Amino acid sequence: MTVTSSNVTSVSRTSTGGGRSAGSPPRVRLRTGRLVLYTVLVVITGLFLGPFGWLFLTGLKTSAETAAAPVHWLPTDFQWHNFADAFNLIDFLGYARNSLIIAFIYATLVTLSSAWVGYGFARLDAPGKKTLFGVLLGSMMLPQMITLLPTYLIFAKLGMVDTYWPWVLWGLAAAPYLVFLFRQFFAGLPRELEEAAIVDGCGYATIFWRIFLPQSWPVLSASFVIAFTWTWGDYIAPQLLLSTERSTLAVAVMSTYVTTAGTPVTNLQAAASVMYVVPILLIFLVAQRGFVAGMSTSGLK
Amino acid sequence: MTVEQISTVADRAKEATASGRAPADGRPRTSMTTRRHRAFYMFTSPWIIGFLLLTIVPMVYALWLSFTTYDGISPHWRFIGLDNYSELLADPVTWDSLGRTGLFAVTSVPLSIIAGLGLAVLVNRPLKARGLFRTLLYLPAVVPPVGAGIAFKMMFDQNSGAANGVLNIFGIDALGWLADPYARYVLLMTVLWGAGNIMIISLAGLQDVPRELHEAATIDGASAWRTFRSITVPLLSPVLLFQTVTGVIASVQTIMPLLLAAEATTAGVTAIPQSNYMYMMHVFAEYFALGRYGYASALLWVLFVLILIVTGLIFRFTSGVVFYNVDPEAKK
Repeated sequence: MTVTSSNVTSVSRTSTGGGRSAGSPPRVRLRTGRLVLYTVLVVITGLFLGPFGWLFLTGLKTSAETAAAPVHWLPTDFQWHNFADAFNLIDFLGYARNSLIIAFIYATLVTLSSAWVGYGFARLDAPGKKTLFGVLLGSMMLPQMITLLPTYLIFAKLGMVDTYWPWVLWGLAAAPYLVFLFRQFFAGLPRELEEAAIVDGCGYATIFWRIFLPQSWPVLSASFVIAFTWTWGDYIAPQLLLSTERSTLAVAVMSTYVTTAGTPVTNLQAAASVMYVVPILLIFLVAQRGFVAGMSTSGLK
Repeated sequence: MTVEQISTVADRAKEATASGRAPADGRPRTSMTTRRHRAFYMFTSPWIIGFLLLTIVPMVYALWLSFTTYDGISPHWRFIGLDNYSELLADPVTWDSLGRTGLFAVTSVPLSIIAGLGLAVLVNRPLKARGLFRTLLYLPAVVPPVGAGIAFKMMFDQNSGAANGVLNIFGIDALGWLADPYARYVLLMTVLWGAGNIMIISLAGLQDVPRELHEAATIDGASAWRTFRSITVPLLSPVLLFQTVTGVIASVQTIMPLLLAAEATTAGVTAIPQSNYMYMMHVFAEYFALGRYGYASALLWVLFVLILIVTGLIFRFTSGVVFYNVDPEAKK
C-alpha cells in the first residue's frame, strides 16, 4: 500500500540505463538529453511556483503598487507590516480559531468513525456486505455539491444553521474515501491478531479498540491530516451554513478584505491568503508520506 | 495495553454473554456467525445511517421540492408537477450553462490527465533532487480553492497582474483576463495548476509496471514512445479511468468560477463573466440570489441524472479498453 520512492528509483534506473547502453550513443547526446530534461523541469516547476510567489510579492506591496498599471514586479519597499495589518483589519485570529475548531471536530470524529466502519468492511461479514461495499465505493463518486444544497435546507429547518452541528454529524457519518483507506489497511493485518481474542470471548468492539486501533497510527494520522485539510480548505459549506462572525478563515479571507466602499484591499488580502495557505503547506510537508500513500491507494483501486 | 487487561475484558464479555442471552444454546458455531453478522452491521451502521440521513434524505427532499414552487419564504407554495422541469428545458440559460460545463469537462479533464501523466513520466526518471521536484510540483494540489482563486485573480489582474506584465514586455496590450472571453482560460489554468494530484497517483501506477516488460521491450528495440504507448499507458489505464471519472464529476461541481469572480459571495454569482457561468453557478443563482428552491432543486436533479448517465457511458465505452492486471504476482 505504501509508496516507497526507493522502489521507483530502482525500477527506472535499470530501465533507462538499459535503454541507453542498447543504443550506445556517445556521452554527448546523453548529456544534452539530461540538460533538456532539467531545463524543462525547472521551467515547469517555476511556473507551478509562480502563483505562490506572486501572492507573496503582492502581500508585500503598497496598495498604490497593487493598483498600478503597468505592473510593479517588485515592491519598492517590502511592506512587512501588511501581514500585521491583515491580522488586525479583520478578526483574523477569531476566524482562524473557528476554522481550527471545525476542522478539529470533523477530522477527529470522521477519522474514528471511518476506522470503525472500515474495520467492519475489512474483518467482518454478513449477508449484504458486497452490495453495501459497492454502495460505499459508488458514493465516493456522488457529486457532493448536489447533496449539499438540499442538506443546507434541512439543516436550516432543524435550526442547525450557524452552529457547528453539521460538522459533528458529517464527522459521525464517516467518509467513504477514508473508510476505504482503513479497510485496505485492516484487511492487510494478519488473522491471528483477533483469533486469540475471539477464543477468549472478546467482543468485536474491544478487539477493534484494544488491538486494531493501536496498530493503525500511520493511517489514523493520514486520515486526520486529510480530513483536516478538507475542512480547512472548504469554502462553500461554511459560507452557506455559518453567519459571518462564526465563519471560517476561508470565507473571511475570500470576502472580508474590502474597504467600507466595497473595493478589495488587494495587498492585505494577499498577505492574509499567504497566512491562510501556509499552515496547510506545512502540514502537508510534515505529513507528506502518509498523505501521498493515502492518495495513491484510493486512486489505484 | 497489557495481556491482563485483554483477559479481564474478555471475562467481562463472557459473563455478559453467559448471563445475557440464550444460555446453553448448544450451538456455539451458529451463535458465533450470528455474532459476526450483528457485529458487521454494528460497525457499518454509522456510515449506513449517515448515508441515509445526509445523502439519500436530502436527495429525496430535493426531488420532492423540484415538483413545488417552494421558496423558503412564501407560505403559499404548492405542488406544480413537472412545471419546473418544463421551465428549465425551455430556458436558454440552462442549455448555455450546460454546454459551457460540458466544454469545460471535455477540455480540463483530458488536459490535466495528460499534464499529470507527463509530469509523472518526467519525475520518474533518474534525476538529481527528484524528491524536491515531486514535492514542489505536487504542492499546488494541496492549496485550498480559496487560496488558488485569490492567487490567480491577482496574477491575471488587468492592471497589476503578472500575466499582463509579461505581455507588456513583448509589447502586447493588456488583456482583461478575468472577463469574457479569456476568463475560461484562467479557469482552465487553475485546474492544470493542480495536476500534481494526477502526477502522484500516476507515479504510484508507474511503479507497479513490471520491470521485465520494459526490459523485454528494450531488448526488442522498441522506442521510448512505443514502450510508453504500448506498455505504460495500458497498464495505467485503470488509474486513468478513475481519474477521468472523478475529474468529470469534479469539473461539473467546480466553484472556482465563483472564487475567480469580482465579489465572491454566493449572492455574487451575477458578477461571474458569461464564459465561466457554468451550470452549477446557474443553480447557485436560482438558489441563493433568487431563492427559488423548487426550481433550483429541479436543476440539481437534472444534473445528477446527467452525471450518472455520463459516468455510466464512460465505464461502458472503456470496458474493452481498460486493462486490469489480473495476476497480482506480476506486480512484484
